[in-house]
Amino acid sequence: MAFIEVKDLNFSYEESRKVLDGINFSVNKGEILCIFGPNGCGKTTMLDCILGLNKVEKGEILIDGKSMSDLTIEKIAQMVAYVPQKHEHTFGYTVLEMVLMGRTAHTSIFDSPGKEDMEIAIDCLKRVGMYGFKDRIFNNLSGGEVQLVKLARALAQQTNLIVFDEPTAHLDFRHELNVIKYMSSLIKDSNKQMSMIMATHFPNHAFYLENQGISTSVAMMGDGVFYAKGKAEDVLNEDNMKRIFKIKTRVFKNVEEDSIFNYMIPLDFSDGGQWNEI
Amino acid sequence: MPKTRLNRKILFLLCILVPIVLVFISLFIGRYPLSLAEVIAILKSGFNSAAEGITPIKHAVIWDMRMPRALMALVVGAALSVSGGALQGVFRNPLVDSGLLGVSAGAGFGACLAIILFQNIVFTYIFAFTFGILAVALSYATGKIYKTAPTVTLVLGGVIISAIFTALISFTKYVADPYEQLPAITFWLMGSLARANYFDLAIASIPIAIGIIGIMLIRWRINLLSIGEREARTLGVNTSLCRNIIIACTALATAGAVCISGTIGWIGLVIPHIGRMIVGNDNRILLPLCVAMGGSFLLIVDNICRSLTEGEIPLGVLTALIGGPFYIFLLKKTRGGGGW
Repeated sequence: MAFIEVKDLNFSYEESRKVLDGINFSVNKGEILCIFGPNGCGKTTMLDCILGLNKVEKGEILIDGKSMSDLTIEKIAQMVAYVPQKHEHTFGYTVLEMVLMGRTAHTSIFDSPGKEDMEIAIDCLKRVGMYGFKDRIFNNLSGGEVQLVKLARALAQQTNLIVFDEPTAHLDFRHELNVIKYMSSLIKDSNKQMSMIMATHFPNHAFYLENQGISTSVAMMGDGVFYAKGKAEDVLNEDNMKRIFKIKTRVFKNVEEDSIFNYMIPLDFSDGGQWNEI
Repeated sequence: MPKTRLNRKILFLLCILVPIVLVFISLFIGRYPLSLAEVIAILKSGFNSAAEGITPIKHAVIWDMRMPRALMALVVGAALSVSGGALQGVFRNPLVDSGLLGVSAGAGFGACLAIILFQNIVFTYIFAFTFGILAVALSYATGKIYKTAPTVTLVLGGVIISAIFTALISFTKYVADPYEQLPAITFWLMGSLARANYFDLAIASIPIAIGIIGIMLIRWRINLLSIGEREARTLGVNTSLCRNIIIACTALATAGAVCISGTIGWIGLVIPHIGRMIVGNDNRILLPLCVAMGGSFLLIVDNICRSLTEGEIPLGVLTALIGGPFYIFLLKKTRGGGGW
C-alpha cells in the first residue's frame, strides 16, 4: 500500500523557469525510492516539497492518505523525518540535545520535551550506536558520526517515512556502507512498515539495497521530470546514464557463492567533451 | 565541556538563592550606615509600621530606597539578559544583544523627546516604552520587504531603524536646552536606577513579566530556530510564528526595562555568553540562568555605582567596565568552551 503518493507535482521559484514539471510517483510501505539525477536537476526542490518546506503549486502530495496541503508543518514532521545533507553549525549543542530536537513535533509550542522524550532520544542514540557520544559537542564530530546522530534524530521523530538527502556525501567507504546497511536494517526491523526516499549520486547504493532484499525502486531525474522509474537494474543501465549524465558507464555482475549483485563504474564522457566542458 | 557542567539541581538552587542573598547584602550598602540587627528589625517590622527604636529615616532608607532599587536592578537585568540570550538563538548569532531590533535606540529617542516636550517623568516612561516598541515594529516591517532569508533582513531592518533613531537622538540633544534638558538626556542615555520606586517597578514589571514568561515558555523552540530555518521546519517548528512570538516578547521585556532604567548596554550580550560557558547552549537551562545572572550582575554593578564615589556613576559606564574584563577572564579560562 502506498504510504506517499505524489501526483503531477509542479513547482518553480521564478515564474519563468519550472523546477519541477509534473512529477508522479508513489512509495509503498517498506519500500525505498532512490532518486538519481545531475546536480541542479531539482532533487532537493522535490524533497523540500515532500517535507512541506515548499508550497506545492500544482498537483498533490498524499501522505498516508492525507493531502499535504491540509497538514500543518508540525503534523508533517510527525509523519516525515529528514536527514539533511549539511548542517550549518552555529551554537554547539550536545549530541543528546541534538537528538532530543527530533521530539519537537510531539511537544506543543509552549512546551519542552519531557522525561519520556528523553528516554526515546537516548534509545535512538543507542540504536545507531552513538550513545557513548551523548555529551560530546555535535559541531566537533566527524562526518560519519554527524550522519549517525542526524539519523538518530530522525528516528526520534518516530515517523514511517524518512527522507535522506545524499546521506553518504563526504563519508569514507566504511562509514558509507555503515549508513546504507543501517537504512536497510531499519526497513527490515520495522516489519516493512517504514519507507524511505533517498537522493543519492551512487548507483551502487540501489544495487546494494536491492540485493539486501529491500524492495527498491529507482527514479532517474533530469530537468524537473522523471525520465525513468522502476527496478534498479532496469533504470540504472548504460543507456540511461548516457542520456541523463552524458557519461559512458559499464554495469558488471559480481557473482559470489550465495549472491549475485550488480555494480556500475563510470568510464568516460559519452559526448566527447573535455574535462572543463561540464 | 560536560565535565565542568554544574549539577542541575545545585544550579537551580543557586539561581534562586544568589539573587536573594545579593538583595539582602544591598540593603547594607550606601552612605547611611545600618547594622545587621537594625536591618533585620526593619525587615521584620514590615513595609508599613516602623519597629521600636528605629527612626523613620532608617525605615525609609531600607524600604523606600534600597529595597525598590535592588528589586529594580534584578528585574531590569533579568529582562535585558534573557532578551539578549533569546535573540542570539533566533538570529543564530552570538554577537546579538537585546537592542538588536532597535528597542534601545527607539526608547532612547522617546525618552529624549519626552524630556524636551514635558517636565513630567511619567511621560518619559510612556514615550520611551512606546517608541521602543514602535522601533521593533518598524524594524520588523523593514525586514519583511524582502521575502527571502527573513533573519538576515530583520537584522538589516534593525540596523537601519537603530541608525535612524540614533540620529534623531543626536538631533534632540542638539535642540535641547543645555542647562536643564541636555544633562537629563545624557544621564538617561547612560542608564540609571537612581529614581527607583515601587510605582515604576510595578508598571515596568507588567511588560517585563509578560515578555520573560513568554520566552520561558517557548525556550525549547529557540534551540530549534538556532539550528536553522530548514532543519527547524522539518522537525515540526512553525518558524515564523515562533520567531514573531519571541520578537514580541523580547521587545516587551526590553522596552519595559529600558523605559525605567535608560539604556544599559552590554548585559544582553555578555550575560548570555557567560551562561553559555557555564551550562552550554541549551536554552532550556541557559535562559533561566540568564534571568538569575542578569539580575544579579546588574544588582552588583548598581551597588558599586552608588557606593564607589560621592555622586552616582552612570550604570552603562560600569556594566561595560566591569563586564568587559570579567568576560575576557572567562574567555581565557574556558577557551571558548561554549562551542560556538
